[in-house]
Amino acid sequence: MLRIRSLAKRYHGPRSRTVLAGVDFDLAAGEYVAVMGESGIGKSTLLNLIAGLDRPDAGSIELEGRELGALDDDALTELRRARMGFVFQAFHVLPYLSVAENVALPLVLLGERATPRDERVAAMLGAVGLEDRAASRPSELSGGELQRVAIARALVHRPALVLADEPTGNLDPDSAAQVLALLRDAVKRHRSAAILVTHSRAAAASADRIYTLTAGGLVAGDTRGAA
Amino acid sequence: MTSRRNCCRRAVSSLAAVALAATSPAIAETEYPVVLPGVEVVFPRDHGAHPAYRTEWWYITGWVRDRAGRDLGIQVTFFRNRPGVAEDNPSAFAPRQLLFAHAALADAAHGRLRHDQRAARAGFGFARAAEDATDVHIGDWSLRATTQGYAARIAAGEFTLDLAFRVTQPVLLQGAGGYSRKGPLPGQSSFYYSRPHLAVSGMVVVDGVRLEIAGEAWLDHEWSSEYLAPEAQGWDWTGVNLADGGALMAFRIRDRHGGTFWAGGTLRRSDGTVRRFAPGEIAFTPLRTWRSPRTEAEYPVAMRVRAGTLELELAPMMDDQELDSRASVGTVYWEGAVRALEGEREIGRGYLELTGYWRPLRL
Amino acid sequence: MATLAASRLLGLLRATAGSLGAGKGRLSISIAAIALGVALGYAVQLVNRVAVNEFAQAVQTLSGTADLVIRGPRGGFSEQVLGEVAQLPEVAAASPIVEVEARIPGRDEALRLLGIDVFRAGLVQPGLVPEVAAVPQPSAPDSPSREMPSLDTLRDDTVFLNAAAMAALGMGVGDFLPVQVGTGIVRLRVAGEVRAEGHAQPLAVMDIAGAQWRLGRLGRLGRIDLRVHPGVDVAELARRIGAVLPPGVAVERPSAAIESTVRLSRSYRVNLNVLALVALFTGGLLVFSTQALAVVRRRPYLALLRVLGLTRGAMMLLLLLEAAAVGAVGALVGLAGGYALAELVLGTVGPDLGSGFFRGVVARATFEPAPALLFLVLGIATALLGSLAAANEAARTEPAQALKAGDEQRAFRRLTPVWPGLAFIALGAALAGAPPVNGLPVFGYAAIACLLVGTILLLARIARAVFDRIPVARRPAARLAVLQLRGAPGQATVSLAAIVASVSLLVSMAIMVASFRQSLDQWLQHVLPADLYLRAAPTGDSAFLPPDVQEAIAALPGVRRVEFLRSERLLLDARRPQIVLLARPIDAASAASRLPLVRSAPPPAGAAPPAWVSEVAADLYGFDVGQEIELPIGGRSVPFHVAGVWRDYARQQGAVVIERALYAELTGDRNANDAAIHLEPGAAPESVARALRERVPGSGELETVLPAEIRQRSLAIFDRTFAVTYALETAALAIGLMGLSSSFGALVLARRREFGVLRHLGLTRAQVGAMLAAEGGIVSALGLGVGAALGWIISLILIHVVNRQSFHWSMDLHVPWGSLAAFTAIMLGLASLTALASGRQAMGGDAVRAVKEDW
Repeated sequence: MLRIRSLAKRYHGPRSRTVLAGVDFDLAAGEYVAVMGESGIGKSTLLNLIAGLDRPDAGSIELEGRELGALDDDALTELRRARMGFVFQAFHVLPYLSVAENVALPLVLLGERATPRDERVAAMLGAVGLEDRAASRPSELSGGELQRVAIARALVHRPALVLADEPTGNLDPDSAAQVLALLRDAVKRHRSAAILVTHSRAAAASADRIYTLTAGGLVAGDTRGAA
Repeated sequence: MTSRRNCCRRAVSSLAAVALAATSPAIAETEYPVVLPGVEVVFPRDHGAHPAYRTEWWYITGWVRDRAGRDLGIQVTFFRNRPGVAEDNPSAFAPRQLLFAHAALADAAHGRLRHDQRAARAGFGFARAAEDATDVHIGDWSLRATTQGYAARIAAGEFTLDLAFRVTQPVLLQGAGGYSRKGPLPGQSSFYYSRPHLAVSGMVVVDGVRLEIAGEAWLDHEWSSEYLAPEAQGWDWTGVNLADGGALMAFRIRDRHGGTFWAGGTLRRSDGTVRRFAPGEIAFTPLRTWRSPRTEAEYPVAMRVRAGTLELELAPMMDDQELDSRASVGTVYWEGAVRALEGEREIGRGYLELTGYWRPLRL
Repeated sequence: MATLAASRLLGLLRATAGSLGAGKGRLSISIAAIALGVALGYAVQLVNRVAVNEFAQAVQTLSGTADLVIRGPRGGFSEQVLGEVAQLPEVAAASPIVEVEARIPGRDEALRLLGIDVFRAGLVQPGLVPEVAAVPQPSAPDSPSREMPSLDTLRDDTVFLNAAAMAALGMGVGDFLPVQVGTGIVRLRVAGEVRAEGHAQPLAVMDIAGAQWRLGRLGRLGRIDLRVHPGVDVAELARRIGAVLPPGVAVERPSAAIESTVRLSRSYRVNLNVLALVALFTGGLLVFSTQALAVVRRRPYLALLRVLGLTRGAMMLLLLLEAAAVGAVGALVGLAGGYALAELVLGTVGPDLGSGFFRGVVARATFEPAPALLFLVLGIATALLGSLAAANEAARTEPAQALKAGDEQRAFRRLTPVWPGLAFIALGAALAGAPPVNGLPVFGYAAIACLLVGTILLLARIARAVFDRIPVARRPAARLAVLQLRGAPGQATVSLAAIVASVSLLVSMAIMVASFRQSLDQWLQHVLPADLYLRAAPTGDSAFLPPDVQEAIAALPGVRRVEFLRSERLLLDARRPQIVLLARPIDAASAASRLPLVRSAPPPAGAAPPAWVSEVAADLYGFDVGQEIELPIGGRSVPFHVAGVWRDYARQQGAVVIERALYAELTGDRNANDAAIHLEPGAAPESVARALRERVPGSGELETVLPAEIRQRSLAIFDRTFAVTYALETAALAIGLMGLSSSFGALVLARRREFGVLRHLGLTRAQVGAMLAAEGGIVSALGLGVGAALGWIISLILIHVVNRQSFHWSMDLHVPWGSLAAFTAIMLGLASLTALASGRQAMGGDAVRAVKEDW
């Protein structure tokens, strides 16, 4: 489903540096993997490249058979809108929308009609255990709850790929565990593939497989302990 | 001399100077009566103003003494001028007749003159010179004939004069029956009479102190249409009440080089006989000069005056009797009380006038 | 201690603000806004100060050391008065003066020509005594003639000019100055210079007798200046003199002339000052929005500082200090700008700011410390007040809450209670009806301020109500825009305040000016019913149409009827400028067709002769229809019956119209100033004007104009008068737009993370742009709507209260729909464009990384 070959990214500027080089990676549909790595090694860059939010300097990314490099910004945006979901460390639940409206956002963007949309949103909120908070404002929610809203939003349109960047970074261990379980559960239920970028071994452990991003590329397994 | 002196006095009396702008061609448009010999001076009519003539003045100078015995010099002048402009202007303000007045007080203790002046066009009851008798005033300054002589009231800035002048002697006609030559041309002349030995009484208020005074004064009344000869630089004039009851008037007009351009004078002896002097009989000789610290002008404040056989020395009451009228008239001159000495003996008192020492008197 | 710590923290805050890049730009706009308001206010103050100073100096020169001045009608009073007062023992000197505003052919401005008695003037006004030109005399280089008065000061055909007059007229000694007297020309030889130190405008001096005779003022005086002896009770003497003066002649201190003119111009000046204050107010709102957004953006930083131990009070102090610094910098820049502006205005428009009150005054600005300090304080206070809400918000926020991500949207969510806003509006409505204070519409201005403040206080409510009623669209961009506005109305309110304030100001001024202009236009059409107008001269009071010229005009072929008008100025109150008396053919029956009456009543039988007073006269002197009034005409007090009140935009000191035949009977004055010529049907105005030039003696100096030309000229003068107003409007518009774009820019920058998320979720750039444009459009539309509505109400107050009370003239409401619509469209477009541009700026590549920003 996701096929990455010889991916390289350099940041230009006063202190140019290479963050990714020679990354090869394959992800099958429904597969849930964790990517670990040292700070600054390029984990988030990798996610941005996969999301089409950034362009690689070399190499290719193919999602469901489509080469991202061949798509323009609008096409990438539409691809993202339809086929991807995102969970952020800082939740990024839009504060001026209610919980339900936040979750409904991807469906609104996809032009879903109101009735099926509301049903889907309700179901999704039920799945993350927030059915009774649909009308709440984000400011009334705890961090764990906000991230559950984010998870619901990431999966409500049944994306092929969910990208989660340190989703538990801002959470206490109990909430983190709850959120991770929920994420895994939701991803698996929707048969989406998912990439979880994290520092946390505990978090990584919730994935099917663990990769470590190194200066030499993406290698299987949690190699950090070994290093 | 009178006309020269007139000129001088015009200068003294502030804006009187306008009359002397006679060099201006416009003046020629106005027909002034020419002063010629053979016209009889008639009193009392000729005590009054002669508005047809260009210039006229009543000029009083005198020595008075307060009860403490302090000597003061007084000067009160009223001047009438017909500038010869706006004669056909129907406006009540038309400046057909101008009146000026000047008053000065000499006080040796003060060290210099106190003086003040007035100027106005005749009219609105504010300023007037009557034609039938001596009666001239500008606002609250006045000189009027009284049954006994004259009365002057002057409210000046630094002093007030309230004086009565009693006539003690008959009129002294100057020149030939009042026809007084001022230059080589017959028209350069004036009608001129004097009243020496006027007995003065009254009040002088100075520095807030009211002084009762008494003394002796000299009045000139002169009218003419003449002007100062262009060659003249200035003049020296004196009028002295002699202690024996006689009176001496002498003047000389100086040319550009300090020489005598014209001169004249009259002596009336105590017995009433009158001796008129030809120009050659008059001589002024400086004895001592005084330099003004203000203007740097140097004045011969002490003079030897010879008139025929009479010879006397004039010694000033004080050196600084300079009158700075640049602000109004534009000239500076010396007009001061003097003692007349014969040797060491004082034989009379009077006034000395010195003009053209600061700059050429050019009016 | 606390201050020291605070200032250190201020540096820290500054650094954090600086790190966000856009802080500096917004800071400069705040500074610029304050600077603009301060600059306008200070410039008005400086220019006016110069005008008043110059005018006062000129009056001082003219009055010299006078303790009292006797004045009367413009045509003068009997010279017999001089005889009476000059004799008074208390009077040290009395200087009579003939005052003529001399018409110089070919010149627009009349020349002030004084006829003086050089001897008396020397005692009271030495500055007016001419200096005679030195005649070159080679024989006597030191000639004292320059210092002496000369005969030329006494001649009736000579004149002395001050340096300004020589420069203005291009004349020197020896030239001949032509003066139009009646329809003829009197030529006066320039004989020298008059210094008249302090009198900066052109001035000519000649002998009083010459002036009386040559300029047609025999027997009359314009003024007598009196100097009294030291120690005299001036007020008591004035009372005694006043008692014996003829009607219409009054004695006052010389300063009364200054006061009356300054008073006349005061309303105009106060109006300008209020406009400057409004600009400052708009600047304050801009500071408010800037600071509010800065507080929002720095919310977590500020919370952190609180967590680290900064007390609530110190936080407040910190933010207020920051604002004070902004205000101080802005005010200082503004003071410099105001000085420069004043110089510019003085050099171009002139110190009367186009109002014509101090015509002819020429001057330069001088630095004025007291108003400078005032405006410095005003600038700082404005900034402080503007930042108060933001500082309060920041200080009250619970740090724990603020540290939570996304909390910034909660800022300014608290809704103020409704009642303060309503109370302000109610107070404003009540104040609008209050009478003027000391001739100034203080309550009118207060009412406007109350309405503005009240509306702004209610803005959050209004915004919420409106946003809740906007249907949620299906299209994602529009939908998100509406949801955003509903969800965070507080932020929108911040921008709204600035928009509403500037738009309402603009709209109200636009409506007021348009109403005034329209009313003036209609008025001109009413007062100019004839086919051709003829004036003895455009300016001055030396020219007139004598009876023979009047007859010749009436006898011209093609002329059906001529109405001659005589104009005079009467002194009704020594503390006020003279009122204009217009004598023209009129009676109770024809008044309505000749005058734009606002109210009238037919005079009862046996009433005194009718008079029609202008609105200004009615207001200033309390005249009203049906009343008996006394007018001092021809040295007598004459009773009149007020038959009507008419609208008059031309004479701000007030005017009274009476029958000309009666005037001629009372005064013996049969001259006229103007003629309104009605033509035979078919007669061409041009041919009549030509015939006039050919057949009427002295017509070469007369000016014939068509009503259309007068109208055009009048409107041009009107436009020039309002040039300053237009300039201020433009300034307000600039501030409003700056506020708008600055608010939007700040808002958009603050929402970069949101855009990042939306981009992640699949919103295209175009959609984000559309969303922002929609938001900008909605907020602007709301701001424009509320601003326009408020502006309309303010315009009513301006028209019916402020103008009525300031200038005493009424006008009809006229809304310039076309230009307002165009303005609205432009503003809407600009707002959307601004939003779009801001969005573009905020959505660079950084938008993606913005989601990583934790704060």
